[in-house]
Amino acid sequence: MNINFSGVSKIFEPDIAALIDININIEQGEFVYIVGQTGSGKSTLLRLITREILPSRGIVAVGGTDLMKMRKADVPYYRRDVGLVAQDFKLIPTLTVYENIAFVMEAMSVPGRLVAERAKDVITQVGLWRRRSMRPAQLSGGEQQRVAIARALANSPSLFIADEPTGNLDFHTAAEVMKILFSINAAGVTVVMSTHNQAIVNASRQRVIELEGGHLVRDERGGSYTG
Amino acid sequence: MTAIRYVIRDTLRLIVHHWVLGLLTLITAGVMLWVLGITTLLSLNLENLLSRLESELAVQAYLVKDNTLDVEAVARKIQALEYVYTVKTFSPADSLAKLQVKMGSQSRALQMLGDNPIPWNFEIHVNNAEDVEPLVEALKAMPEVDDVVYAGLVVKRISALSRVSSRVAWIMFILAVIITALVVYNTIHISLYSRREEIGIMYLVGATRAYIATPFILHGTMLAFFGAVIAGAGIIGAYFPGIELIRENLPLLSNILLTDHMVIWRFCGLLAGFGATLGWVCSYLVVSRFINSITRPE
Repeated sequence: MNINFSGVSKIFEPDIAALIDININIEQGEFVYIVGQTGSGKSTLLRLITREILPSRGIVAVGGTDLMKMRKADVPYYRRDVGLVAQDFKLIPTLTVYENIAFVMEAMSVPGRLVAERAKDVITQVGLWRRRSMRPAQLSGGEQQRVAIARALANSPSLFIADEPTGNLDFHTAAEVMKILFSINAAGVTVVMSTHNQAIVNASRQRVIELEGGHLVRDERGGSYTG
Repeated sequence: MTAIRYVIRDTLRLIVHHWVLGLLTLITAGVMLWVLGITTLLSLNLENLLSRLESELAVQAYLVKDNTLDVEAVARKIQALEYVYTVKTFSPADSLAKLQVKMGSQSRALQMLGDNPIPWNFEIHVNNAEDVEPLVEALKAMPEVDDVVYAGLVVKRISALSRVSSRVAWIMFILAVIITALVVYNTIHISLYSRREEIGIMYLVGATRAYIATPFILHGTMLAFFGAVIAGAGIIGAYFPGIELIRENLPLLSNILLTDHMVIWRFCGLLAGFGATLGWVCSYLVVSRFINSITRPE
């Protein structure tokens, strides 16, 4: 799924410019790091892609569809094709690991047997099968992050959005999470990940889009990040 | 199938998580709908009684003593008046005979009057007690009519009672609807509020609005429906013993009261349907508003 930002600005009330005149084109199957300091507009950019927010100016098109013109009723169907790993995980606290993952498939009316199979696959993929009956509060930050990744994978999305997925993790756990993201990308899924972790960006040399004060200051393939 | 399972599971979860609030809603809805049901039944019984009394209300119109008068033509003229349901014509002889029967052993006193003093007259029936007064006015305005006799006070009281009864029933209906709607609305709003974060996440990961809303709507509908079922049970429990009591103490009213068990059961079924509809409408409104507000993109 390709992503196109054309002259996109986002101004929050009363007058806070989070993004200013952004032009980006991300092709299907790319792995892109969105880097920049806190407050540079990374999360805003990702939230525009998931259509949590709408641009104040310009066009955000995903898979050729202008998200501004998307009907309200079509939003859930669009989001089923976008795997999202949020900075704060966004897990449902009352559900177990298994239920958190099964839920997204149940919402799509996937038959029960397939839900069970797929949930087992993705939970095993992130190495949490033995913790499937635990609730998010009983897991460490890294484990919660992995549950969020497993949930994002459950519907086999074409686009994977990860907002600071390694933000609160130690280096070893962060490396494990990155391994999972690279394997997703290797399967042809577009991955867009925001981070301010230099070591992670520099270790893999992917496309780097750098934001500063809401402006796009660098878009470099095989780039690095010096912070 | 998966979606149905989810809806059932999540509705049960809502019921369990908010059971205290649910119980309060159930009791409030039950009490309000019980009051509504009992008021409606009382009002129906009163209406029955009033319509029986109304059907027996008659206006007697006496014609002037004039041998040239075409009685048939006057009868047709009266029948053509607004409000008139039936007109019966009585000759002077018929009227005297009726009076004699009515007076029984004292009827000999009538012989002292000499010639029959009763003129041709009409017994006129109306549909509603409220129609009597305007009819009397219309009759008095006719030159052929000498005198009009009717139970004026009774008519006024029946009309007033009928108006009051129907107003009380309406007020109770409006009160019951507002209070039941408010408690259901608040309960569902609290359930939604306590799960607002969860709802936001569900929407973010691709759950449709209908999928998110259904358990909440079902919860509200069930609360109002079971409230109405409790009210129905309460009505059956209170109404029939009440009717028995009236039958024993006021046997005259026995034929007028609504005593058909099937009718009362159907009425309670209707009340349950009404409760469920009310619950559905309230839940739908609050859930739509709430989900709209938290899923609207900035």
